[in-house]
Amino acid sequence: MRTSTSPRLPHSEHAEESARLLWNAVSTSDEHAAAELVLRMLDDGADPESVLLDVIARVQGRVGEEWAANRISVAQEHAATAINERVVAAVSVHPAARTAVTRGRITVACVDGEWHGLPARLLAEVLKLRGWRVDHLGAQVPTPHLIVHLHNTRADAVALSSSIATRLPTAHAAITACQAVGVPVLVGGAAFGPEGRYAEPLGADAWAPDARAAADLLAEEPLARPETDHQQSDDLPHLADQEFTVVSRSSASLVRHVLTALEDAFPSMRAYSDLQRERTAEDLAHIVEFLATALYLDDEALFTRFIAWTAEVLVARGVPASSLPPALDLLARELMDFPRASRILRSGTHTLTTAHSTAAGNTA
Amino acid sequence: MRCNDAAGPLLPAAAPGTSLVDVAPAWLCAAHTRLASPGPHPVPETGLTLRGDIGGRHFEAHPTVRGDGSVAWWLVDDTGHQLAREALRRERERSAFLAKASNVLLASLNLGRCMDGTAHMAAENLADAALVIAPARGQRLPVVTCVRGGAPATTTVTVDLDEVPGLAEALRGFPPVPSRWIDPATAPGWMTPERFGPVGSIVITPLPGHGVPAGALILLRATETAAFSDEEEAFARLFAARAGAAMSAARLYAEQSTVSDMLMRELLPPDLHQISGVDFAGGYRPSADHERIGGDFYDVHPATVEGAGALVSLGDVCGKGLEAAVLTGKIRNTLHALLPLADDHQRMLSLLNTALLSSHHTRFATMVLASAVRRGSAVDLKLTSGGHPSPLIVRADGTVEEADTHGTLIGAIPNVSATTTTASLAPGESCVLYTDGITEAKGGPMGDDLFGDERLKRALAGCAGMPAEGIVEHVQMLAAQWLGNRPHDDMAVVVISAPRTHHLSAVNGHTRGRFTA
Amino acid sequence: MTTHPNHLELTTVDAQDSVRIELHGDLDHDNADLLVQEAVAQLTARPALTDLYLGCADLGAVDSMGLCALLMISRRTTEAGVRMHLDDRPARLDRLLTLTGTLDHLTAPPPAGSVTPSITGESAMAARPTGPDSTT
Repeated sequence: MRTSTSPRLPHSEHAEESARLLWNAVSTSDEHAAAELVLRMLDDGADPESVLLDVIARVQGRVGEEWAANRISVAQEHAATAINERVVAAVSVHPAARTAVTRGRITVACVDGEWHGLPARLLAEVLKLRGWRVDHLGAQVPTPHLIVHLHNTRADAVALSSSIATRLPTAHAAITACQAVGVPVLVGGAAFGPEGRYAEPLGADAWAPDARAAADLLAEEPLARPETDHQQSDDLPHLADQEFTVVSRSSASLVRHVLTALEDAFPSMRAYSDLQRERTAEDLAHIVEFLATALYLDDEALFTRFIAWTAEVLVARGVPASSLPPALDLLARELMDFPRASRILRSGTHTLTTAHSTAAGNTA
Repeated sequence: MRCNDAAGPLLPAAAPGTSLVDVAPAWLCAAHTRLASPGPHPVPETGLTLRGDIGGRHFEAHPTVRGDGSVAWWLVDDTGHQLAREALRRERERSAFLAKASNVLLASLNLGRCMDGTAHMAAENLADAALVIAPARGQRLPVVTCVRGGAPATTTVTVDLDEVPGLAEALRGFPPVPSRWIDPATAPGWMTPERFGPVGSIVITPLPGHGVPAGALILLRATETAAFSDEEEAFARLFAARAGAAMSAARLYAEQSTVSDMLMRELLPPDLHQISGVDFAGGYRPSADHERIGGDFYDVHPATVEGAGALVSLGDVCGKGLEAAVLTGKIRNTLHALLPLADDHQRMLSLLNTALLSSHHTRFATMVLASAVRRGSAVDLKLTSGGHPSPLIVRADGTVEEADTHGTLIGAIPNVSATTTTASLAPGESCVLYTDGITEAKGGPMGDDLFGDERLKRALAGCAGMPAEGIVEHVQMLAAQWLGNRPHDDMAVVVISAPRTHHLSAVNGHTRGRFTA
Repeated sequence: MTTHPNHLELTTVDAQDSVRIELHGDLDHDNADLLVQEAVAQLTARPALTDLYLGCADLGAVDSMGLCALLMISRRTTEAGVRMHLDDRPARLDRLLTLTGTLDHLTAPPPAGSVTPSITGESAMAARPTGPDSTT
């Protein structure tokens, strides 16, 4: 294995320093400096896999953190990501990354609606370095495209990436579709929850926490060919109560009702500009979307994690998170006939109240 | 013991006074001993009738305990019933297997995977090993081999077809031939899997395709396994019919998709990159998720003469799907032919208009032409709209300007006119060309608002200084999030940017080729 | 909540030498043909027609196929020597016609009687009794 024999692995503090330099270039949109930096590392004998995962992936992680902390805008996040993408492309054509195909064929794709394409791109490059023949379909791959691709190629497995939990119902459809044509699916990405806990209920054949682990797992032994008579509805029997369907389908009217009710409850909101009103509506739509996803997986924690994260993001942007509990209460009132939704919303409210007291405790 | 006349032929040794143990089979004796032993007798439960073989036939035995403690055994010949039950069980197993086979085979339209599935199922259920051979031109045949308990493996073997009796006919699919036995001693080496041991019997079964030969299935049994019975062979043919249908469907699909891929390649939007010091990026999403092409199009053509600009075209033909895509192909080809006139947008549009006019329909296109040329660190633009939404220019300070160009749509009216405008991009500034699929995207948190020009401009105001790809991705993501899962029109975006970095080496030096791959 | 498609409904009112078609709903990909068929049927059935009025007061969204239909009707009326009128145009329609540079073309047809060369190079057959449907 290259990891045990390669003398070209940079020391971890070396990687950390390189990541810091790359972040400087990426965050100032200096694409040229970013590419030069990475290419010089490869010229100096750095291991390409390590450059991808210990330097570039680390910088990409920082991009997300900086955004959550409101230190960069969404547009800057996109700019940084675009530069990182180009840097990955630069690594992939460097002579040090030239590898012969010695293994089977893997299709790498992001779930439809998933715009964070870099993790999948990094995995695709790492798998190439490990000797796989890789078809990288990119971000936002509609499931029908993925299936057509699988009919036309003889992939040994699909590696499916998703970072946003709300894409999980779509991911489930994609996983089932791949398996139905006889191809096993490895999933990864933040969407699948802590320790990949949603991979199993969604029927994935395997889960990996990161690109390196995914590559190790695929190298270990081939994923078994899935049974083709698997029924998607068997995975999640709770869907029979229709709560997911109703909530996801009536999202727009739920948002409208709650927004109106919020304006009644908080007269100050009536002074909002159209833009502020739209932002509030978008936040509500997000809450409903995560509620629907939590219903899909029957997992309260998915919702409470989102609520806790939202509260943090709001606070980072100077918006008081106090607007969240009334929104959850109003939603619960709209959905009081739905026991699972009510339970999930209650636990969301509970998270907010306990988070407040913990925060207060910390500052004391 | 005593017995009646009917029992005489059945148990010939049974004579009065002999012991049951000496004349009756063990299963009956054991039951008798249980019943005749002292203590409470378990009453045989109904449904648990005692059964067993006597002299090659099958009997039910019903005991009656008589007053004197002796037991009368009534033996009922059950052989026919038992045979029927056995046949039913086998039949059930077979239909379950065929159902599973159909499931596995119907699942994939990939020939390789169909061959894998066929070999695997045959090896698990019909034989000790199975080979699936696909027909091919020439003597090199793709073969999938699977041994029971193992995984299918693909190889290519060079075969002299005449060397194996029946194989040529089976692969040709004509004339229709039955399964054929071959002598394991004469079988070529490639037919026997490694470490399989001595082969007892081999049968070659054609895989009947639908009008096209689908291949052959070869079943192998080891010497210690019984040879194929007629019934088993007939069953193997049933399986082969399903496998053949699936493999020929996969083959047809592969041929069709090769053809459509080839035709579609011409219609797919190109990958954009830097040309002569100007950054270009484009993104496209067709209206239907199962399609890859649609009614929007874009192209970037490098300058045909030194010092002239690269020509960008982006447009939208009315209609959707394949029909619209075919028209975009015609437009793109015509524009390509008109490239020598690239400097005169109005003349290009006018000639294109004439080329597209048809007496049969008024299908039209709206489009924007943009010429972009690097001058120093700036990019000079010439922009002309043929009835299309005006390009938006994103300045370094976040101001978004609408290019002042208007004109007539192309392809429906005999006389068209258009105005051309010019602009200059400083480093880090961009010009965004888009189709109305973006601005007419219907959705948002309330579900029924248009994304609209204003939202697009506001989003672009935050894109000052971003690389071209970043802007394309940002706009596409916002539109997609706005839409959610709602239906939408084709959406295309092209961004022309003056590169931010003004290192000359980034433009012409050796580094460029390395990271703009 | 999904918005329901706003299906096109047509109401045709005859006068002596003119026809008025009222458009209710969206003129789009799914139903633009309906309007073309109706207009061509009127032109064919009424050779003496001088004016075709399309009432747009209740017209909803118009997409590119809808505009394509208006252009086709305009071509047919011109060939038949009939004036086409787009009455009571909503602002949204005017914006579309302005953007695509078709406002003048669709709202200021040549006066009746003038012979406009058709795009095929044939002269417009205004007097042809059956109407110019042979090209469809």
